[in-house]
Amino acid sequence: MSADTSPRGGFRDLKKIFGAGSSNLRQFGILFSLIAIILLFQFLTDGLTLSSGNLINLVSQYSYILILAIGMVMVIIAGHIDLSVGSVAAFAGIVVATAMQEWNLPWPLAILLGLAVGSLIGAWQGFWVAYIGVPAFIVTLAGMLIWRGGNQVIGNANTVPVPDGFTTIGSGYLPEVGPYTGYNNLTLVLGLIIAGAVVLVEVRARRVQKIMGSEPAPLWVSVIKVTLLVAVIIYATVLFAGGRVGTSFPVSGIILGVLVLFYSFITRNTIFGRHVYAVGGNKLAAELSGVKSRRVNFLVMMNMSILASLAGMIFVARSVASGPQDGLSWELDAIAAVFIGGAAVSGGIGTVTGSIIGGLVMAVLNNGLQLLGVGADRVQIIKGLVLLIAVGVDVWNKSQGRPSLIGFLTRKNKTDEFPSEPPAVVPTSGTPASVRPPDNPS
Amino acid sequence: MRKLLTTTAIAAVALMALSGCSTRTDTTSGGSSAAAGFAADSLIGVALPSKTSENWVLAGGLFEDGLKEAGFKGDVQYAGASTTVKDQQDQISAMVTKGAKVIIIGAADGGQLGTQVKAAHDAGAIVIAYDRLILNTEDVDYYVAYDNFKVGELQGQALLDGLAAKKPAGPYNIELFSGSSDDANAPVFFNGAMSVLQPKIDDGTLVVGSGQTDIKQTATAGWKAENAQSRMDSLLTSTYGDKTLDGVLSPNDTLARAIITSVKAAGKAIPVVTGQDSEAESVKSIMAGEQYSTINKDTRVLVAQAIDMAKVLQKGETPEVNDTKSYDNGKKIVPAFLLPPVIVTKDNAAEAYANDPKLSPLTK
Repeated sequence: MSADTSPRGGFRDLKKIFGAGSSNLRQFGILFSLIAIILLFQFLTDGLTLSSGNLINLVSQYSYILILAIGMVMVIIAGHIDLSVGSVAAFAGIVVATAMQEWNLPWPLAILLGLAVGSLIGAWQGFWVAYIGVPAFIVTLAGMLIWRGGNQVIGNANTVPVPDGFTTIGSGYLPEVGPYTGYNNLTLVLGLIIAGAVVLVEVRARRVQKIMGSEPAPLWVSVIKVTLLVAVIIYATVLFAGGRVGTSFPVSGIILGVLVLFYSFITRNTIFGRHVYAVGGNKLAAELSGVKSRRVNFLVMMNMSILASLAGMIFVARSVASGPQDGLSWELDAIAAVFIGGAAVSGGIGTVTGSIIGGLVMAVLNNGLQLLGVGADRVQIIKGLVLLIAVGVDVWNKSQGRPSLIGFLTRKNKTDEFPSEPPAVVPTSGTPASVRPPDNPS
Repeated sequence: MRKLLTTTAIAAVALMALSGCSTRTDTTSGGSSAAAGFAADSLIGVALPSKTSENWVLAGGLFEDGLKEAGFKGDVQYAGASTTVKDQQDQISAMVTKGAKVIIIGAADGGQLGTQVKAAHDAGAIVIAYDRLILNTEDVDYYVAYDNFKVGELQGQALLDGLAAKKPAGPYNIELFSGSSDDANAPVFFNGAMSVLQPKIDDGTLVVGSGQTDIKQTATAGWKAENAQSRMDSLLTSTYGDKTLDGVLSPNDTLARAIITSVKAAGKAIPVVTGQDSEAESVKSIMAGEQYSTINKDTRVLVAQAIDMAKVLQKGETPEVNDTKSYDNGKKIVPAFLLPPVIVTKDNAAEAYANDPKLSPLTK
C-alpha cells in the first residue's frame, strides 16, 4: 500500500486534493472546465461575470434548474428519465398561485400545498413506473402532457400573480441585520460558517483516517486543499455580501445549498442511496441481493416530482406570477446538467455534486453569453454543442480507459513504475474502499 | 492538526485583507432618477419577445439602427422561441449588470417581470414598457404604445362598415375572436371593439351565432394561428351548417388569415374579417378582396418615439406623456405616450402605406 501512496509524492499527492477514485477525477475534469469557462467570461466581459450583482443573479436565475438536477440525477442513476418535470413545476405553480389568489391561503401553507401536489403527482408517476412497469420515458411523456394541460385548465392559460410574502423564496435575500459593516452581515456569517465547516470536515477526516490505521495524504496536501476551498468560499462570500444594498445571498440559493447537502448525504451515505446505484447499475443483481427495486423506483420518481414542484414554486416566486409558459423545456436543462456532470445514460453512475457542477457550467455559459449580448438563438446552438462535446469527451475517455486529463497525465507517470496497477483493490487514500463509498465529497 | 488550522486561518485573513474595502453601492434613491440625466454614450437595453411576428423583427432592427444613430450603445435582445419568459428575465438581469441606463421592454409576459424590473429600477435604470404594459409592479416608469382601446374601436367600426357595404340591412351573423389571455392588450382590444359592437348586439342588428361573447370563450391562446383556425373550424361545424356567416371580429392579421383559411376550407363565402398589424400577407389579402381591414400601427413611429424618450431622459428632462390615467397595471397608473392607430381598407391602403417601402408596392 505504501508503495502506491507516495514513492515520488509530488503530483500524485496533489491529485488527492480531489479525493480518490476515478469518478472524482472525472468530476474534477468538469470542475476544471467550469473554472476555465468562468475565467474566460470574466476576461471577455471585463470583470462583469464575477461581479456581485451578476453572481447574485446567477444563483437566483438557476437555483431551480439545479434543484431539478438533484432529483434528475437520482432518476438517471436509477436508470430512468423524467420528462415531466417542467409540466409538474408549472402545474404546482398554478395550483399554489390560484390557491393564494382565490382562497387567500397564507403563503407558508401554500408552499406545503405545492409540495403535497408534487408528492401526489410523484406517487402517481412512481406507481406506473415501479408497479405497472411502464417505462419512465412513457409515463413522464404522458405526465408532460397531462400536467401542462392541467396548468392551462386551472389558470385558463392566464398569468396569475402571487402575494409579496410568497415571492421571498424566489426573489428574497438574506436580510440586513446588525451594524453597518459595508457588507451584508448574515451573508458574511454564512460564509464563515461554511469555511469553518470545510476546515472541520477535513480535520475530522484525517483523524478518522488515523484511527482506522490508514495512511492519510501528506499534511501539505490537506493544507493546500483547505486553503484553496476556504479562499474560494471567502472570495464568493465577499462578492455575495457586497452586492447592492438590499441584495445579498439569495434565499433560493440557501434552499439549493441545503438540498445539495441533504441529497449528497442520502446518495452517498444511506442504504437507500446505495440501493439507487445498485438498481441502476444492475437491477437483477440488486434484486437478488435483496434490494426492493420497486420501492426504490417508486421513491426516486416521487422525489423528482416533489423537487419539481419546489422548483416551480421558486420560479413563480421569482416571476411574481404563475404563467402558462412556466417550466417549458426545463426537463432538458436538468437532463443536460446531469449528463454534463458525468452521469451515464445506462444508469448506475452519477453524483449530485457532479450534476450541480454540470448545471453551473450551463448557467455560467448562458449568463456569460447574455452579458456579451449574444442572441438567444445562438446561445441555444452553443449550449447544444457544449452538451454534445462534454459528454462526447467523457465517453471517449472512458472507452480509452482514461478518466480525465489529470488521470491521463498521471497514468503516464505511473506506467513507468507499475505496469499493472489495480486501482479497485488498492485505495489511494484514507479509508478502505469498503468503508468509504466511491463517490467522495468535495 | 494545529498547523493546518493556523495556516488556513492565516490564508483566510490574508484574503479578507486582499479583498479590500467594500464596493457596496447604495442606490436606494428610488423612483425615477431622471433628474440627473446620464452620459450621452450610455448603454440602452432593449428586451423583445421571441421573433414570432414580423413586427418584433422589424422593431429590433429599427432599435439597433436608431440607438446607434442617437449616439447610444444599444443592446437589443430577443427571447428564445421556446423559453421566452425565462430568457427575457435573464436578459433584463444581464442588461442591469452591464449598467444600462434605460431598459425598453416589449414583454413576453407582462405579469412575470416584476423582480427583474425592480432590480433594474434599484440599480438606477429607467424602465419603459414598449407596446405591452408590465403588470403588478411599481417599477415601470413609462409606457409607449399605440392607443389599443382605439384600435379595438376602429376594428368594431370597420366590422360594421364592412357589413353595411356587403348587405344593406341586418341582422348580420358574426363571430368574435380575442387575443391571448396572458397579453394585457388582448382585453383592451376586445373591450374597445365591444364598446362599438355591444349596442348593435343588444338591438338585434348583430347576432353572435354561437352565443360566445365572453372574452374567455373567444380567447386565442398564445396568439397562435392554429388555435384560431381550429376554433373557427368548430364554430362553422356547430353553428353555420345552413346559416351564412357575415362577419368576424379578429384582433390581428395572423388570426384573420387563419380564420379566412378555415372558412375557405369549409367551402363558405368569406365574411368581413378585421385585423391589425399590417402584415404583408394581410395587405395582399386586403388588396385581393379577402380580408376586409387591418390597422396600421407604424412600428417605425413607435420605435422612434421610444428612442426619443431615451434621448429626453439622457438630458435629465422628463419625457412627454399624453395619458396619465388609463393604464393601471395593478400597482400604479403608468404614465403613457399613446400614438393614434389608423384603420386601413382596400380604399385607403395606397395612401396609408405610401411611406412604407415594403408595403406600398403591394398596394399598387
